[in-house]
Amino acid sequence: MKNSIFLIRGLPPLFGLAAFLAIWQVISGFYSHVITPSPVEVAQTLLTLAADGQLWEQSRHSILRGLVGFGLAVAAGTPLGLLIGMNPVAASLLRPLVVVLQVTPLISWLLLAMIWIGFTKVPVFVVFVTTLPLIVINTFQGVKSIDGQLLQMSEIYRISKPRVIREIYLPQVAPYLMAGVSNALGVTWKAVAMAEFLSVQQGIGASMAVARINLETAALFAWTLFLIGLGLVTDRLLAYLTNRKLKHWM
Amino acid sequence: MIKFENVYKTLGQTRVLEGFSFHAERGKILCLVGPSGCGKTTILQMLAGLEQPDAGRIDGKDGLRVSYVFQEPRLLLWKTVAGNIDFVLRDAVIPARRKELIDKYLSLMGLYEYRDSYPKALSGGMKQRLALCRAFAFPHDLLLLDEPFKSLDMPLRLGLVRQVAKMWRETPRTIVFVTHDIMEALLLGHRIVVLSARPTTVLDTVDLNIPFKKRNVGREPLPSHYARMLSLLEAEIMKSLPNL
Repeated sequence: MKNSIFLIRGLPPLFGLAAFLAIWQVISGFYSHVITPSPVEVAQTLLTLAADGQLWEQSRHSILRGLVGFGLAVAAGTPLGLLIGMNPVAASLLRPLVVVLQVTPLISWLLLAMIWIGFTKVPVFVVFVTTLPLIVINTFQGVKSIDGQLLQMSEIYRISKPRVIREIYLPQVAPYLMAGVSNALGVTWKAVAMAEFLSVQQGIGASMAVARINLETAALFAWTLFLIGLGLVTDRLLAYLTNRKLKHWM
Repeated sequence: MIKFENVYKTLGQTRVLEGFSFHAERGKILCLVGPSGCGKTTILQMLAGLEQPDAGRIDGKDGLRVSYVFQEPRLLLWKTVAGNIDFVLRDAVIPARRKELIDKYLSLMGLYEYRDSYPKALSGGMKQRLALCRAFAFPHDLLLLDEPFKSLDMPLRLGLVRQVAKMWRETPRTIVFVTHDIMEALLLGHRIVVLSARPTTVLDTVDLNIPFKKRNVGREPLPSHYARMLSLLEAEIMKSLPNL
């Protein structure tokens, strides 16, 4: 019963996807394959990249850089968001900086990072600075939503401050933090490819730069598809892990 | 003994207490009965140290370990039923004794089989019972109960009042129990203080030396106390309603 409902609900999106591929195939017939490669050609390129090991060889650099930058942002952003949420002085000092960080254009970070820290570390740095504000702001929003009645209860029962942070603040911040983490993860793969495109010799972004120079449009499409897939898979994985942890009380 | 002497308190624009005095005897149950909004919760918050008096003295509460049952259950939704009690015991009780205390009070309140469930799975009444378990299990000198049975139906309320009396008998500690229900107060109080509307004054004080087991809603002197207190409170309410 449950399976059949899933199948029926799964049909319209599949139909939409099939229609999109069909239109793409038709359009590609009108233009040169340099401008619009056909879906079949893109799929073949993707398979070739996978078969000769290039897909893994290049993407492992990007995935590692993305995860390091993203991980550092979560590790630094969570305590920073808690601090801004809990301490009015920290809030007035740091909040404007976080907002500035958030609205600074990606390209400025990219170019400045190349000057400041050398090309190889640019992707990690760019991912870090673009995802950090997302984590900080969401954590801070979570702290603002904390139930004051529970804090009062903890005060009566003389719960120590570290335990209040761990057992009252963090669980209530968690849903907000996870929304921020999900956003940040979406940004991560885009930012890492963009940074690699301009700064380094290896990675998905660098491979796209080479494909562009050689007019290998099918390869550009293939890498794009891979990035989309990477985003979708990591997002679903995160949602699954979050749900497993929070399902008892959300 | 805990003593309020000539206490004044204003919250915002509202004068809640103006020269209010009363005392609670150590190891006894004091019930404060009064109309809604008469400042009962403020009195409890002062006893717990959450509010300070504007003027006057509160003696005998310093250094006391306080347990508090609020009008709402105030549970941690991300912890299990047993975990919610363990939360307050962790820094106060040695590990070997914690499980024992948790099991004991969950059994007394009929929640033992739910110990591994999450609060989401409990009804409103069960959540409030869990809050009572938490308060009793925490090692306290003073227990403050702020209308803990407010949202429950009559039979369950009387049942829980009896259960609280039982738990008090096991380890007699000072309880200040705030309610607007005279019957609850008569079943549970060693002393019952009837309060007026704001600013709060004492309308009536009754000392009851009848053992809890022998207290019965139909047996004197409870009915005559009930009738007198009800008419006092009714007269209080009529003051604030238009005279037609």
